[in-house]
Amino acid sequence: MSPGEKRNLRNGLLFASPYLVGAIFLTIYPFAASLYFSLTQYNAIAAPVWVGFENYVDLFTRDAQFWKALGNTMYFTVFSVPLSLALSIGLAVLLNMNIPARSVFRTIFFLPTIVPLVAIAVLWLWIFNPESGLVNSTLFTLGITNAPGWIADPEWAKPSFILMSLWGVGTAVVIFLAGLTDVPRSLYESADIDGAGPFVKFRHITLPMITPTILFNLVMGLINSFQYFTEVYIMTAGTGRPADSLLFYALYLYQNAFSYLRMGYASALAWLLFLVILASTSLVLVSSKRWVYYHGE
Amino acid sequence: MSVTGENHAHVSTYLKYALVLVASAAVLVLLLPSETGSPEEAQARRDGRTVITYWDRTQGFEHEIHKELIAEFNRSQDRIFVRALQMGWRIEKLLTAISSGAPPDLCSLESSALASLAYQGCFMDLTDWMEQYSYLQTDLFFPHTLDSVAIDGRVFAIPSMNDSYCLLWNKALFRKAGLDPERGPQTLRELEEYAVKLTSVDGSGLQTIGFLPWVPWDLTHMWGTLFGGDWYDKAVGLSTAGEDPSILASLAWQGSWQKDASDPNPPPYALDPDLIEAFFAGSMGGGAYMSANNPFYTGRIAMTVEGEWQSTFIPKYAPNLDWGIGPIPQPEGAPPRGYSPGCVAEGIPVSSRHPEEAKEFLRWFYAPRAEGASSPAGDYCYLIHNVPTRRNEATEERFMGDPKFRVFVEQLLTKEVVPQALTPATWMMVDDIARARELVLFDHVAPEDAAMQVQEKANAELKRVRRLLERTAQ
Repeated sequence: MSPGEKRNLRNGLLFASPYLVGAIFLTIYPFAASLYFSLTQYNAIAAPVWVGFENYVDLFTRDAQFWKALGNTMYFTVFSVPLSLALSIGLAVLLNMNIPARSVFRTIFFLPTIVPLVAIAVLWLWIFNPESGLVNSTLFTLGITNAPGWIADPEWAKPSFILMSLWGVGTAVVIFLAGLTDVPRSLYESADIDGAGPFVKFRHITLPMITPTILFNLVMGLINSFQYFTEVYIMTAGTGRPADSLLFYALYLYQNAFSYLRMGYASALAWLLFLVILASTSLVLVSSKRWVYYHGE
Repeated sequence: MSVTGENHAHVSTYLKYALVLVASAAVLVLLLPSETGSPEEAQARRDGRTVITYWDRTQGFEHEIHKELIAEFNRSQDRIFVRALQMGWRIEKLLTAISSGAPPDLCSLESSALASLAYQGCFMDLTDWMEQYSYLQTDLFFPHTLDSVAIDGRVFAIPSMNDSYCLLWNKALFRKAGLDPERGPQTLRELEEYAVKLTSVDGSGLQTIGFLPWVPWDLTHMWGTLFGGDWYDKAVGLSTAGEDPSILASLAWQGSWQKDASDPNPPPYALDPDLIEAFFAGSMGGGAYMSANNPFYTGRIAMTVEGEWQSTFIPKYAPNLDWGIGPIPQPEGAPPRGYSPGCVAEGIPVSSRHPEEAKEFLRWFYAPRAEGASSPAGDYCYLIHNVPTRRNEATEERFMGDPKFRVFVEQLLTKEVVPQALTPATWMMVDDIARARELVLFDHVAPEDAAMQVQEKANAELKRVRRLLERTAQ
């Protein structure tokens, strides 16, 4: 290596050093450390003690709550992600039309995503309040006296959170809007000449052309819903009650790590969550070859 | 490029450097720790006093009153200044502060939170230090408060606040139902009979609930102990909940208050789960507890289990409520027991930077202000209407003179109290005991199985933690 190349390498590394330092100390090290802790008994105070795969074995064979938390999270993901996608595509298509004050509507639909999660949780606590909340007050006014208890009722708790998650589709809507502007006008013009109606154009032009955007939002939606935490932590005071109906995976992980001082066990939970997310996103990516259409292919 | 052009290029380069330097300096200035705290604290620092950090578990008006007392201490001092921060009751912040080596010098915390941390050696053993002072002798404290903070007789935090639970009833509803408003139910059977008489249902649902064992919140631990059971066997050092007939009876009894579709002969006091749900959906949601809409205040719940804080809350939120108070009924043959889940206690983390100053504050807090006078600790409990943790203070006229508050105190003075056991798995057990009732009520799990789940999970965790403690001690 010539002196010039050495200097370039040094300068290059120096310029990249803020990222490298951040990546090593804030990503790679914690990642590796959590893998090690998952094989230990560790309470964040005393030194970790090696226990091999004991935490993983306990999770699968002894821990009913682990399965409950996984089931709750799956349920939430299975309903919340497709519903959010459908809603955000619908909104994006509507907001892409030439309507008056379009940018105002776009801003309105995006606004919830810039509200802090804690504020959202507190707001929805009030909306779902069985007595004085917006939803039940409206239902009472309409003469419905046996309105659900929403997050206070084990049967309605998860549907309540699914409803709530739909409020935050603003980011996906913006991404879909960008995707929609990418659809060539010529395709719609050809369809118009062939006499295609709006539904046919949506089904056979818009939808196939935005499949890469759908794929992106689907993967992001999966990752986010598997890690769903803040709102449920605040709205259930960290308990996941009633009857564990809101014990989401990330909340159970947090309880183990910070309430029960089982940091090793929580690390094992975190690694299993990582594998679940990896598997589900891989599945989506593999399947995408069959349903995602890229321009120019 | 002309000479003038080169000069311009140099000037703009220097300007860029200068801008980068100014921006960097601004960032550094912003990163510098600013002077924090009140003007009094700043003055104390200038005077060379040692500033100690106190993490206060209480919030709202309780914290404000606490701060006033701490200000009194600060005014009396020329050596120490206590800086009080309200940190809430959860354990997470304390855990992260301790594990990162930067704990507060002193903190107040729930005894259930103390448990896990004390077993890890995170809190100073205060036993010998307390023995030096007549007003900190362990026999002065209610035994259950010491049980909540001591491991093998060694005290790791000093109890400062304490609750006591009683049965409260609405006298107007008693009169309406033809019951003597001055006499509450004495036995469990009477409680059930009264509940039937006080409950009213019409076409639109439940109008008044006579009684429900889990209102205003889960009391599964309490019912287990009042039935004579023990969730944790201190002698064995393990949970025996799943094999304790009294615990199983208490869970079955709680379950009996909600009708089960598979039971052809439910007890007369059992309520339809749909009616219960509709009742709470219509009359009590989050936040309503501390408000005039609390269903006990509005006369929609006739009898309820509550703590001594109601002697402040009721005059504040429902000044016209005519209410009675008595001991919580127990099953026949059960040992007479009162109930307190534990206590709030003051502890010094082992890695506190100013342990001696923290002790000095604690000494002031618990010491009588003068011979025969009250202590700040007692004043604090009086001002926030909590039961003091030392019996001599709890029996002062200012507490016992209030006929209703007196009943709360008497439960602790005259009966055995079994608090949440101080074990390395207390916090988990507290959560799991509450979950056991939900399993019985919502998932129709048999009480034996629900209690056995608590036992097996607690014991597995206790064994794990003890194994870890043994290994780390080696």
